[in-house]
Amino acid sequence: MNSGTVKWQRNIFIASFIIPTLLFFGVFTIYPVVQSLYYSFFDWSGMSETKTFVGFDNFKEMFHDPIVWRAIGNDYFLVAGKVIGIMLLATFFAVALTRFGFKLAGFFRSIFFIPNVISVVVIGVLWNFIYNPQIGFLNAFLSLFTSEKVSITWLGFSDHTIWMLLPPAIWAGIGFYMILLIAAIQSIPASYFEAASIEGAGEWKQFWSITLPLVWEQMKVSILNIMMTTLNGSFVIVWIMTEGGPDNSTQVMGSYLYQMAFRQFHFGYGASIGFIILVLSLITTIVLQRLMRHDPVEMS
Amino acid sequence: MNIQIKNPIAKLIIYAILILWGISVLYPLIWTLLDSLKNNEQFFLNAPWALPEIPLIWSNFSYVWSKYHFDTYFVNSLVITTGSTILALLLSATTAYVLARYKFRGSNALFLLYISSMMVPFVLALIPLFFLMNSLGLINTKLGLIFVYTSSLLAFGIFVLVGFFKSLPKELEEAAIVDGASYYGTFFRVMLPLAQPGLITVGIVNILNIWNEYIVGTILINDPTQYTLPVEIGVMQAEMQYRTEWGPLFAALLITIIPVLIIYIIFQRQIASGITAGAVK
Repeated sequence: MNSGTVKWQRNIFIASFIIPTLLFFGVFTIYPVVQSLYYSFFDWSGMSETKTFVGFDNFKEMFHDPIVWRAIGNDYFLVAGKVIGIMLLATFFAVALTRFGFKLAGFFRSIFFIPNVISVVVIGVLWNFIYNPQIGFLNAFLSLFTSEKVSITWLGFSDHTIWMLLPPAIWAGIGFYMILLIAAIQSIPASYFEAASIEGAGEWKQFWSITLPLVWEQMKVSILNIMMTTLNGSFVIVWIMTEGGPDNSTQVMGSYLYQMAFRQFHFGYGASIGFIILVLSLITTIVLQRLMRHDPVEMS
Repeated sequence: MNIQIKNPIAKLIIYAILILWGISVLYPLIWTLLDSLKNNEQFFLNAPWALPEIPLIWSNFSYVWSKYHFDTYFVNSLVITTGSTILALLLSATTAYVLARYKFRGSNALFLLYISSMMVPFVLALIPLFFLMNSLGLINTKLGLIFVYTSSLLAFGIFVLVGFFKSLPKELEEAAIVDGASYYGTFFRVMLPLAQPGLITVGIVNILNIWNEYIVGTILINDPTQYTLPVEIGVMQAEMQYRTEWGPLFAALLITIIPVLIIYIIFQRQIASGITAGAVK
């Protein structure tokens, strides 16, 4: 066999392992994403063949659409709420389940992760039931402390309803980030803690000067990940629990895209909402990375 | 070395918080089981935490299974999950192997393309996907969902498996080549079996994602005979405004949850390693 044939065989082998995957990816992921940007310049009901090129009109319209601004506000409200809630609790759990030598640590860790394997639809339905005004758990629980039966419509007051979406989102997200932080903490050499405790550093001191600086990289990854998954995916829980209502008060960009495109058939407008989601998540990634550049090591 | 907390009050508080959170996770599950055995009367007359009355309404399950066609949805979910998991594993393992072991023009760019696609919000693809699938005649088909799910899983699989193949010793391949194995023989007989732990990790994460997927299913499927379990749960909840059948709804939730819970209990470690591998970007 001469080296030419060997080279050919090698090339054919590489091509046969690369091309099918790339074809799949090109057709069902890259093409739709690019196409979406193209659609955002059209006025298009989707039902007819006629798309009207409108340039940046969709974006101008969005600029004057109060629901868009509300949705962006809600998106960032959920990002902020989830980052604070999830990071505080996940860090607390990760430290408690690794550093304190609790016997049941493995058991707790397994339990805390369960919401992450359950479908968001199921989680939405469960929490809807918790909030249910007539037969829900929350009202029944509050009724134990009052003389009258409590019957609050938890998902009904437009200004506060977005707050009610935060507990299920945090509840469902903790386990994932806890696992990440546990892995990070477990990779810290035990000798660091030993040295610190010989020098008389207490638990708090050890947390601030060893654990936190050494898991900071993983925390940055977690915060960025929470931001991305929230901007890109929180509309599923929103859609299941409130459909963006009442009165668009819980609308997020994703749910607004879904509603505009698949309920009201403004596909061009929906596509431009998608474009804004992409821009927002890119900008937020850059801003967050800049903000988190500094290591807490210097602070301690 | 672990810290032994000496302050008993601090220890008590930490334990109390852990136990409370544990209850907050387990209780809704136990409660789903209990509520799936109640009739409507019990929902409206008793407290939500009341135990179901005897006789237990086991018929909620058979009712949902046959009247709500959960037998069909279960099979649909099973076929789609199995199909896309196998296809995604095959496509991502082959590409990952080549990217890990062979240098060729554009190989770095290709890797970057897959990795950076994980940063792009999937919502963006929803509208064009609907029209694409429509023109391909893949709306309301299992094959359509299998294709879309497979594609959405490729980047994660490639990312994890490239790392995995790189960690395998090169000598094994060289030995196989010396023994006269072809490129394909080396991959399928030697490298793929060695990559089994990585494949299982990626496979389990894929299975959980697809079994639980809702939004793509809702957009690409509107023929009720083709629904997956999450899609039907969404439809069923919307219907609850007009007909209240709480017991059957909870039975339906349980039917959807139980398979993933079993997988989770068996493959906990693989899921955890999938998370840590996938997050190191």
